[in-house]
Amino acid sequence: MSKNIRIIPRLDIKGPNLVKGVHLEGLRVLGKPEQFARYYYEAGADEIMYVDVVASLYNRNSLKDIVTKTAKNIFIPLTVAGGIRTLDDIRDILRAGADKVSLNTAAIKQPEIIKEASRKFGSSTIVVTIEAIKHNDGRYFAYTDNGREYTGIEVLSWVKKVEELGAGEIVITSVDREGTGLGFDIVLTQMVAMAVSIPVIAHGGAGCKEDIKSVIREGKADAVSISSMLHYEFVKERVLMDDYSKEGNIEFLKTGRGFSKTNPTKISEIKEYLYWENIPCRYEIQRKEVHGSQK
Amino acid sequence: MAAKSEGEVAIIDYQAGNLFSVQHACITVGLHCRIISSPNEILNACALILPGVGAFGDAMNNLRTLDLIQPLKDFASSGRPFLGICLGMQLLFSESEEFGNVKGLDIVEGRVIRFPEQNEKRKKVKIPHIGWNRIYIPKYNKSWNGTILDHIKDGEFMYFVHSFYVSPQNINQILSLTNYEGIEFCSAIIKENIFATQFHPEKSAKEGIKIFRNWAAIVKKNKESWLL
Amino acid sequence: MKEKLEVKYGLPEKVIFCKRCVMSNQRPISAIEFKHTIKSKKTTLHFDEEGICDACRYAEKKEKIDWLKREEELLKLLDKHRRNDGYYDCIVPGSGGKDSVYASHILKYKYGMHPLTITWPPLIYTDYGYKNFRNWIEIGGFDNVTFNQNRKVMKLLTRLSIENLFHPFQTFILGQKNLAPKIAVQYGIPLIFYGENEAEYGNPIADNFTSLRDKSYYTMNNLMEIYLGGISIAELIEKYNIPLVDLMAYLPPRVDDLKKTKIEVHYLGYYLKWTPQEAYYYAVEHTNFQARPFRSQGTYSKYNSIDDKIDDLYYYTTYIKFGIGRATYDASQEIRNKHLTREEGVALVRRFDGEFPDRYFREVMEYIEMDPDHFLELCDKFRSPHLWTKENGEWKLRYQVT
Repeated sequence: MSKNIRIIPRLDIKGPNLVKGVHLEGLRVLGKPEQFARYYYEAGADEIMYVDVVASLYNRNSLKDIVTKTAKNIFIPLTVAGGIRTLDDIRDILRAGADKVSLNTAAIKQPEIIKEASRKFGSSTIVVTIEAIKHNDGRYFAYTDNGREYTGIEVLSWVKKVEELGAGEIVITSVDREGTGLGFDIVLTQMVAMAVSIPVIAHGGAGCKEDIKSVIREGKADAVSISSMLHYEFVKERVLMDDYSKEGNIEFLKTGRGFSKTNPTKISEIKEYLYWENIPCRYEIQRKEVHGSQK
Repeated sequence: MAAKSEGEVAIIDYQAGNLFSVQHACITVGLHCRIISSPNEILNACALILPGVGAFGDAMNNLRTLDLIQPLKDFASSGRPFLGICLGMQLLFSESEEFGNVKGLDIVEGRVIRFPEQNEKRKKVKIPHIGWNRIYIPKYNKSWNGTILDHIKDGEFMYFVHSFYVSPQNINQILSLTNYEGIEFCSAIIKENIFATQFHPEKSAKEGIKIFRNWAAIVKKNKESWLL
Repeated sequence: MKEKLEVKYGLPEKVIFCKRCVMSNQRPISAIEFKHTIKSKKTTLHFDEEGICDACRYAEKKEKIDWLKREEELLKLLDKHRRNDGYYDCIVPGSGGKDSVYASHILKYKYGMHPLTITWPPLIYTDYGYKNFRNWIEIGGFDNVTFNQNRKVMKLLTRLSIENLFHPFQTFILGQKNLAPKIAVQYGIPLIFYGENEAEYGNPIADNFTSLRDKSYYTMNNLMEIYLGGISIAELIEKYNIPLVDLMAYLPPRVDDLKKTKIEVHYLGYYLKWTPQEAYYYAVEHTNFQARPFRSQGTYSKYNSIDDKIDDLYYYTTYIKFGIGRATYDASQEIRNKHLTREEGVALVRRFDGEFPDRYFREVMEYIEMDPDHFLELCDKFRSPHLWTKENGEWKLRYQVT
């Protein structure tokens, strides 16, 4: 029996706003993160990931408040990423209510932190995110700071090291695909999933349900992290009411437009699709009772 | 000698993971709880939760350093409600395979075993087991009525994250079973006043909160009988 | 007694930073490039009594503009020029960057115009920049006329403009700006659309409320008044042995030609509310535009001006001459568009401004046949003492934004 795939909405947060970029670039505001989180929780999300997108620019993670607010009444695992540098940072975020933390820049600069953190907080608490960009020769290299800084480290050797150091899971992000809706990078995901024995979460490029199926079947992902596909669906339903006076460019929201690169989809639609494709996940088919017979 | 209960649920803090969600799950279902780490405070609690995430060996060391081992055993035998979650459940057992055999609290007889790297069909097993999985009523159990799994559907999804699982000596103590990559394992136990789950009910959405609600009812009933 | 410091380029002696964005008052506003010599005194960004720059004031006004009315003006203008007889009705200049993609695409697919895109190629295309250019044509679907300029002359003029003005981008600016009207004249297409209104960056507020470019930017009557790379045409012909015909690409069309064809130059940004990041998203959506796969040196962004390898160097020279680096430009724009708070902008400027663009430096130097060490010597020559001081053998800006 195959294990259940997890659908993990990823919320990029800047200050008080939820933003959505392309290639991990751009700060288009789509709304308020708490509202998206609640919507996804009610809709059957398996976990939620919060990413502080400007944390590495300022060397700090500012999500503690929203983490606490969320963890108080959303009872599914919450992973927090962005600007987490030290063991103290990890402890603070966990105390604030997070279940897992994800490291990228800190892990690459100082790999030992993975080892120390997983010893101190438990392997399963420590996730490592790898931002991969494909070079002209076909090799994938790891980047940091939201796909900004070249590290010279090849993804394949890095993932193996990450596992060795004791990380519990890996998120593999294709920066080339992220936000484009052009589909996951199957080659990249498969390469990573086959190289390690810890769970691999695919991220970057989901445009439609079929993309999710592909990255699970061919990419061998254990879970998928999705943003655009879900966010642009939630945005459709909403009326612009919130306060953006402090910061946030809402020109896009004012137009009421969508983003045609992705099919706005609900979590339930994704899960139902996976179910019929024989990909198990946390989903119950709505069976209709037929008179006189048992299900 | 059992002291008069103060009416609070003790959540044990032994530096093994996050207590925030457990605490908030309790608050959500109306349980007054307090995070404690000293033996004295345990004696006065009306019920106890032993949560936890991380390494078995380190956890036992912490419990030892905090002088909590005997108080926990005493509480378990006091008949007051005791809830173990994840690592908290594993610690109840006699011994764990982790890092060469480490002794546990020995409150429940049995061992703690690591998931194999390959299953019987030689398929690679990803460890830890992370994600949602179904819990089932074991064939030899009639139902979950009156337990913390009351009104939970047979086959309901719960959230798991672990690399080891428990193997109780007494199969009648197995409350639920779960299957991961072809390996069937015990995902919840029941022993008199002790309930424990491998999965995290505080991370299992609304059905998980239902489990807390069930346990809160048990705690309430138990308190009332104490006060009589 | 305090020594009076030399102030180069006619810049304001005192350095002030805008209270809203992070731009300083040392920023020159669009010069009339072909009158540009080393002796030119710069007109700089104006700050009002509250310490707020014109660009920020414009951003304020932008919120109050009736954009529906502006769109109506646009529709009227387009209706006047639209042709359905199989011929182009407007020109959109660009190199496939987000702005030209947005402008051309929206004119064609939303407003039913028939643009001819025209390109003055960058000095050296970046590979992702070139891909974006190709995607513009192939996915966006446009006819494109690219003027492949005489590279021998372009390299010389680029060298001269660095040597004499420390302005690597002058040749590009001139070539690009002058190409469109000339093609317009030749092809008989009177309507030219640029994207962003330069008023967004602080051209005097009085200019903003018309959509036409100030004619002084693109018309010229007296050849002798023209300077390229800081050298007069006369001298270029005599001393450098360049025939006039090889310099024409950098010169504007004659006024008479313009009058005959009745050329009109408009900024789309006057009619449609412009947000540079939204132009990026639009380009992604409609032509698979790709951001730079790493951070631009000297700043934090990945989506702005990424197709020319000499671009980074250009921003480095503005840092040397005016104390204003690429991060300052980017952050100021993003603050005005509410993507960033001023505090964040300050942190970004302090972290990235003035980073030396070594990634493409050697390649560019080799291409234009300039000695890299000579370039570095020039840096010191062009620093204005009122902005720079040397501390422990290292150059430091006297004033940094806070």
